[in-house]
Amino acid sequence: MRRDPLDYYAVKVTFWGVRGSYPVPGPSTVKYGGHTSCVEVRTESGACLIIDAGTGLRALGQELALQQQRGEKDSRYDLVLSHVHWDHIQGLPFFEPAYLEGTHITIHGLRVATEELRHVITGITRREFFPVRLEAVPADFDFHEVTPQRPFCIQSFEILPFALNHPFGAVGYRVDADGTSIAYVSDTAPFTDVLHKQHFLPGPEIPTPEDKRALDEMQRSLIEALTGVDTVIYDTHFLPEEYERFPHFGHSSPDHALDMCTGIGVRRLVLYHHAPSHTDDMMDDIADHYADRGKALGLEVITARERMELDVGPNAAREASS
Amino acid sequence: MKVRFWGVRGSVATPGPAYLRYGGNTTAVEVRTETENRLLIDLGTGVTQLARELMDGEFGRGEGVLPILLTHTHLDHIQGLPFFTPFFVRGNQTRIIGPEPTELSLTETLQNHLNPHYSPLYGLENLAAGVRVETIEDGASVELSGFRVRAAAMPHGGMASLGFRIEADGEALAFIGDVEYPDTGPLSTALELAHGVDLLIHDAMFTDEAYALRRGWGHSPVSDAIAVAESAGAKHLALFHHNPDATDDDVDAIVAWAAKRSRVPVFAASEGPAFSLKALSSKA
Ligand SMILES: [Zn+2]
Ligand SMILES: [Zn+2]
Repeated sequence: MRRDPLDYYAVKVTFWGVRGSYPVPGPSTVKYGGHTSCVEVRTESGACLIIDAGTGLRALGQELALQQQRGEKDSRYDLVLSHVHWDHIQGLPFFEPAYLEGTHITIHGLRVATEELRHVITGITRREFFPVRLEAVPADFDFHEVTPQRPFCIQSFEILPFALNHPFGAVGYRVDADGTSIAYVSDTAPFTDVLHKQHFLPGPEIPTPEDKRALDEMQRSLIEALTGVDTVIYDTHFLPEEYERFPHFGHSSPDHALDMCTGIGVRRLVLYHHAPSHTDDMMDDIADHYADRGKALGLEVITARERMELDVGPNAAREASS
Repeated sequence: MKVRFWGVRGSVATPGPAYLRYGGNTTAVEVRTETENRLLIDLGTGVTQLARELMDGEFGRGEGVLPILLTHTHLDHIQGLPFFTPFFVRGNQTRIIGPEPTELSLTETLQNHLNPHYSPLYGLENLAAGVRVETIEDGASVELSGFRVRAAAMPHGGMASLGFRIEADGEALAFIGDVEYPDTGPLSTALELAHGVDLLIHDAMFTDEAYALRRGWGHSPVSDAIAVAESAGAKHLALFHHNPDATDDDVDAIVAWAAKRSRVPVFAASEGPAFSLKALSSKA
């Protein structure tokens, strides 16, 4: 008998790393977690997508390797990268399935400048940095260079990459599966003050009229991509007063995320990529404050915690509205 | 001399409740003289915590002096570099003294780490303090803000990692953080570094049991750390570079195992307050 799609949660999202910049061990991050960016998206039929490969990837990999060895999971992995700053890739050398015979890993990411993605990724395990070269591990690797606004399919996921405003370039992704959708918008600065290009910014750089047009265009396509998405995961690294001091660092505040997600049919916003200096106590305050702000705007706002699992789909939406 | 461990973990940082007592940050060790001269060993994630303390003092005003000894450039030993805020304040005198790693120079390797794909800093030239990068040869000695430092190259898997002997205030300590000795046992160069030191800080990433399955990975079993401490006549041994899979309870068990076998008093390095080498001796 066919089940009513409303009887189950279509997609499960698990947060394995929620921190930005660098991992933060210690007593003040026990509740929200200290690992850097890594999110797992799973459908009920077992399709699995990994977004970003920060230190959180290590624990996820340990679990997936067990499942693979027990025959509960196939040996194919798809890793989708927003960009390759260290906090988004430093878990990769510790991804256990890569050390299992027969594993096949496809890495999807943006190509910036002239360097091939394959070259940039293998560069993180060059012998000066890591004892085992990527080319030497048992898994074989494929590299897929993504282009903003050019959708592609992985397993049963339909994925739309869109450009973000971040040093040297980054992309976010809208992921549609089983009749529902999530979006991953990290890392990005807002689209007003500074346009990030491919040179170092010692301080904020006043945008030229041409820069302003580029920012408007980026914001327009982001809003288009986010429209009607169930759950949006957003880089909210800074508190508003921190953002004022560092508008050229390439990150947003929860206020920026609220601005982007309100009034376009987004049901839920997840605050993500927490600044390393934000202790659990600060995060509690942020979580409470923005949950209230969201309520007033008709948006559910939650704050990402390590190992938090979110059900995304028609049933989750129905329960939330009842 | 005083020692403070800011990072004691190997390979990868380990946040979470199971790592609170020993700490989850990767390698960073601060050494101070009685006159408050400072020296730092390695730039693992632990330096992000040290940075906060330094910035409250003269480093926040651009008046700090800090020589940094770099054992090698594996990621767990340099990943704090882009976040070490004293590098961003003009006037601070910082220098990195490390090994010439491979076919690439040390500067090229650090530039690679900060290349714009991987870091919004784009390169060493954007560190406002203007960090100086120098190399030190195997067996060479150098005088650094009141410390006498001798370096020796230790085998570490496919590459070398520097070990250091550091002397000041009439005391000595040795740091051998990443090493796997040949089957013939600890090298004479390691024993020379650690000869008669008040404290030996030594790689003990693997239990002897686990080491049997991890030969060639570039790290030591606990018994090698003990062997070096005993043969070199070290007064104390700190087990270091804890395995990322070793929880606080696991490290407790390793220390208990080591204490039963070691003739040299042994403890496991843990993040926490500074301690003086003198206090260590009066405790024992
Ligand atoms: Zn990031
Ligand atoms: Zn190491």
